[in-house]
Amino acid sequence: MSLLEIKNLEIRFNTDAGVVHAVNGINLTIEEGESFGLVGETGAGKTTTALAILNLLQSPPAEIVSGEIIYKGQDILKMSKNKLREIRGEEISMIFQDPMTSLNPVMTIGEQIMEAVKYHSGKSAADAQLRMLEMLEKVRIPAERSYDYPHQFSGGMKQRVVIAEALAANPALLLADEPTTALDVTIQAQVLDMISSLQKENKTAMLLITHDLGVVAETCKRAAIMYAGEIVEIGTVEQIFDSTAHPYTKGLFNSIPSLDKKTDRLMPIRGLMPDPMDLPKGCKFAPRCPYADESCINECPPLKDLGEGHYCKCHHADKGAPLYFPDEKGNELAYEHGLPVSNPGNDFLGKGDGPNGK
Amino acid sequence: MANNAQLEVKNLKKYFPVPAGSLHAVDGVSFSIEAGKTLGVVGESGCGKSTLGRAVLGLNEATDGQVIFEGKDITHARGNAKKDMKKEMQIIFQDPYSSLDSRMNVQQLISEPLKINKITHGKEETEKKVKELMDIVGLASRFRLSYPHELDGGRRQRIGIARALSVEPKFIVCDEPVSALDVSIQAQILNLMMDLQEERGLTYIFITHNLSVVKHISDEIMVMYSGTMAEKCSCDELFENPLHPYTKGLLSAIPIPSIHVERNRIHMEGEVTSPINPKPGCRFASRCPYASEKCYSEMPETREVKAGHFVACHNLEAM
Repeated sequence: MSLLEIKNLEIRFNTDAGVVHAVNGINLTIEEGESFGLVGETGAGKTTTALAILNLLQSPPAEIVSGEIIYKGQDILKMSKNKLREIRGEEISMIFQDPMTSLNPVMTIGEQIMEAVKYHSGKSAADAQLRMLEMLEKVRIPAERSYDYPHQFSGGMKQRVVIAEALAANPALLLADEPTTALDVTIQAQVLDMISSLQKENKTAMLLITHDLGVVAETCKRAAIMYAGEIVEIGTVEQIFDSTAHPYTKGLFNSIPSLDKKTDRLMPIRGLMPDPMDLPKGCKFAPRCPYADESCINECPPLKDLGEGHYCKCHHADKGAPLYFPDEKGNELAYEHGLPVSNPGNDFLGKGDGPNGK
Repeated sequence: MANNAQLEVKNLKKYFPVPAGSLHAVDGVSFSIEAGKTLGVVGESGCGKSTLGRAVLGLNEATDGQVIFEGKDITHARGNAKKDMKKEMQIIFQDPYSSLDSRMNVQQLISEPLKINKITHGKEETEKKVKELMDIVGLASRFRLSYPHELDGGRRQRIGIARALSVEPKFIVCDEPVSALDVSIQAQILNLMMDLQEERGLTYIFITHNLSVVKHISDEIMVMYSGTMAEKCSCDELFENPLHPYTKGLLSAIPIPSIHVERNRIHMEGEVTSPINPKPGCRFASRCPYASEKCYSEMPETREVKAGHFVACHNLEAM
């Protein structure tokens, strides 16, 4: 049995302006001790998914339309408040993106780390303090600083305090929501190494949410790519990086400037992510996709099995093939297929608003 | 330095008075850029890269040193001289969410610099020019009457670029122009900026913390650490042959989106030391694995170790 299994989860927000379709039927499983990356751009529904796992979404406006989140055989979405309180922090804990806003500014960091330990283990104050000091040592913060307040720490140290807090009660699953996005690269490297080594040491499973494919390559075994509330591709890191199947994933890789070869221009994805209040009825990526044809516009593609746990939600899934093909002059230009481009001034190489941009 | 430099910065310093003393944001940085080239400035937050960009433009007046643009000393330009300078030198800001007046629509935002600098006269001419600028930066004309909050980050950044271009500058300081954007949008803006540079022969100072972006866009790269220049050389040289221990550590810390790269990460323990009343000596010494006694007592001088490759480190021979 998997540690966590999300089945057909659909979440929407009912706002005054309309219904925001944040998560649209996703399925994923996380095994014990596994590190899993959830990748996507702003607004793809990554954080909403993570918050749903802890049943932390405020309702209203959030509404879980359908789906199950099975943790160790029990559906989190159907648990009582008391049961949830037991699970949060002890079984599943979370690291948020911004360490400044996730720490209490009027409590010393020592107290904050002890709080979780005391609540869950029922340990005495003295035992909780021992555990706190042990955790501080693990994240390499000197013990005497346990009496300091969050504002006395730098960004990287604060995030290490948050890690100590999240792992203090030895959870089985850690949800890390962009844990290093607010940090500088050298500090990011320190923090990621620390999370990975502590995670391996304690055999904690991790769901790492990020927009950085580099971070996924370094820390995760499996990953899923999210787009407009759907998982468009899921598989092992090898499958996603080496035999990329979904055009969106390929587009993401094309958008990142490479460090090993000098390219003249990048190949961005044209247009923008669709408005979650007004999603296309077929494939959500169709308006931006160079492969899109009639079937993509009318029909939402199923999650196709490409074998060995590699799945892709695309009518034209083609493992490893490039997204763009060179034109007759040999320039690496866009291969446009299907949809006619109504505006000839549109530049596929990202000069601006294409015909499909809203 | 080279005579054909468009911009020359000599020993630029910018100190801010703070309650605890003096914050050395930029501490003696010198460089020059040729016309039509891009100098990438990389470093971590707080290393003084944005202050450097602002000091070059006189937005924060330099404490000491000189900024020479096309032969003229503009360090302390005032009045008309400053106004003229602003037509030649522009800036694109990091955050397209806070750098645009939320009560102005796109038309007003782009026409503002045109009116202030008396570039266009009369409503008709201004509107025509706005349309032209929107076209150049790839904003569809249907957004003419939209307000910034109705647009996404990429389009807002295009407005920022159009505003900077409106006065037809020769030189633009780009202060983290793509950091607030998602990768797919980031790529669009980078392409646009490179196209504009090619078409108009613009010179860029491109400030960023993202090493893969800086590699993509720059001709030369300067690595800054705590207000000082650690290393400066051509883009390829920096990635192939980094000499400063900080550059080496920085390069090894980048997460690479590939699973076939062997990672030999150089661990840099600790964090940046405070730039308030800094101690004498190399700013990087406390994190440097090669630091010797000399590093703690004496600030290393910038040496040209190879043509065009400048490094400030005492221990190059020892490494």
